[in-house]
Amino acid sequence: MSDVIKVGVVAYDPKVVTIWEGIKEYFAARAIAMDFVLFSNYDAQVDALLDGWIDIAWNTNLAYIKVYRRTRGNCGVLAMRDVDVGFTTKIIAGTKTGIQSLRDLKGKRLALGSRDSGQAAILPVYFLKQSGVDPAKDMTTIRFDLDVGKHGDTGTSEVEVLNAVAAGEADAGAIGDQYWARALSENLVDNAKVRAVWTSPEYCHCNFTIRDKEDEPRFAQWTDALLTMDYNKPAERKILEMEGLKRWVSPQLDGYRVLFEAVDDLHFFN
Amino acid sequence: MTFTSSISVDTRDLSAADGLLILAGRALDKLKTGDVLEIVSDNASAQHDLPAWARLNAHRWLGTTSNDGRWRHRIEKGSALRVLTDRELDWGNRGPIKDGRFDTKHWLLGHAAQIRQTAEPSHGFAPRGASVEKGSPEFPFDVVDRNQAWSEGAAEFYEQATAGHWDGSRDIPWSQLRPLDEDLERAVCQLMTFLAENEFSALYVPAKWIARIHPHFAETVLFLATQVRDEARHIEVFVKRALANGGGLQFSSASTQASLKTLLDQEDFVQASFMLSVLGEGTFMDLLRYIETHAPDPATREIARRTRIDETRHVHFALDHIRSVLRSDSSCKAKLYRAIADRASVLSGMKGLNPLVEESLVILAAGGLSPERLPLGTKARIQLYETMHENRVRRLTAIGFADREAEELSQLHTPNFM
Repeated sequence: MSDVIKVGVVAYDPKVVTIWEGIKEYFAARAIAMDFVLFSNYDAQVDALLDGWIDIAWNTNLAYIKVYRRTRGNCGVLAMRDVDVGFTTKIIAGTKTGIQSLRDLKGKRLALGSRDSGQAAILPVYFLKQSGVDPAKDMTTIRFDLDVGKHGDTGTSEVEVLNAVAAGEADAGAIGDQYWARALSENLVDNAKVRAVWTSPEYCHCNFTIRDKEDEPRFAQWTDALLTMDYNKPAERKILEMEGLKRWVSPQLDGYRVLFEAVDDLHFFN
Repeated sequence: MTFTSSISVDTRDLSAADGLLILAGRALDKLKTGDVLEIVSDNASAQHDLPAWARLNAHRWLGTTSNDGRWRHRIEKGSALRVLTDRELDWGNRGPIKDGRFDTKHWLLGHAAQIRQTAEPSHGFAPRGASVEKGSPEFPFDVVDRNQAWSEGAAEFYEQATAGHWDGSRDIPWSQLRPLDEDLERAVCQLMTFLAENEFSALYVPAKWIARIHPHFAETVLFLATQVRDEARHIEVFVKRALANGGGLQFSSASTQASLKTLLDQEDFVQASFMLSVLGEGTFMDLLRYIETHAPDPATREIARRTRIDETRHVHFALDHIRSVLRSDSSCKAKLYRAIADRASVLSGMKGLNPLVEESLVILAAGGLSPERLPLGTKARIQLYETMHENRVRRLTAIGFADREAEELSQLHTPNFM
């Protein structure tokens, strides 16, 4: 086995190459041999991890769950972004629709993101059901199935959800709080037309998954170096900014429980 | 759980997109990592928007309470810096404004007053005194040394230049032009053609250096920009004069072009400034005075007068600049001498001024081609060359060349005047 640690990454955007060339350089400067392997979708990346082609997979929460199920819980997690912890889904609604709570969604049109997006489809449907409103029965759903296979991590379907609500083509919509916060900060939202009415319980998003948690010590040096990346240092800041985080953090696996429940409840893998 | 908030900000009913996030961000800017901000709000969506925004910016969300009908949100400031700089901003300096004027030379306040020995490539286009973020790209400016780029008087000359701008379409008495004797008109047109081509070089040379001087030396760059503007106006009025009175643009000689090209070819700012402005434009001051004295019409006279005033400013700036350079690096004198000698050897095939221009100078002073008056014109032209030489020597000694060196340098100067 080669000493070079191979990290799988889904190329959802050309900038992924720039980000990972930067990360590779960062590790090289610390005498840690790392390379990245690009995949066009998460299913291929999950297969490659399980077949031993790559050592670490930079996974969405849904891809992590796939690995977890296929390794019967033996897989491990090395690290996450700060923004992957405490992730929430927002229900946003048109200000003229009268929607102020989940109950008000009954009989309305709800926009959802890609069917494999944790934050914009799977979890909101589950949370709504838990709250006694079933999107499949109680309302009309409008789905934006964009970049399927990339697990809605591209944000393109969330952009469509926001646009649909703003244009009045949908009464409400489900999006991740990261896109919502970004859209608010970047003046992409007119609060006279759209506002957030509900916040979901917290859950976790992406992580660095390995096949076997027993192997964690083998990657300890890599993980430690990753966790010391510093947003207040210019070269490292560039990488972190492009990847959308301020610092890498240790895994908080409790945050995936709700997604396990959701995929079971919705029979997502059947 | 209770937290003591470091500061509290009342955002009333503001929604996130309408200013709530700006108020929260500005309030956090005033705090240190670990300090707690309380945001009091009447906006129902803020409880959904603020935690997402706080998480995106790596602040810690401490939660919301609601008792008196208002929401109180608490955020603990994180450690991620918004702008990556470790220099404190200047604040509280007030520019000295006298009689309604804020003179450029008085803007040396706070960090803007610190002229570095070597300008920082990564400070790029940031104005001197700004706090520049780390990680900014390095700019490829060539002239980064104070010794080369700084001139004490630049700000003052810049002030004079902006105050002295005039309008080439309006400020020349064009309506007073009357038909002239054809030989005389042709001489005027030939001189205007020659002046215009020389002024093109005087526009392009500083323009080339503006792009290569680090913006840290802003006074120099701003002055050169006025010089470019002046030369544009000079080109305009010289060409207009050639066209205005029934004549037209005349010959441009290969020797003049060759001489001017050596100015543009210079790859050293100080040498270029010395050649163009001290020697070239200095010589032009005398040429323009000669044209003013012998001008056959009020428009030509006014053109020569106005352009000479501008040229005088360029010469004085260059003298001040070269004096500053020589004060900090006396070895530069030898380099300047060598540069002039090198230019002379490149132009060694050049026998003298373009004869058509030289003859035009005689015809101008003689008032035409009449055999009785031509000797007067010839005498005036010879006197002009002597004056040019004397004044060059005077300027060269004024900036520190010994009498003999000044004499030699003046002799080596291009016969093309510029």
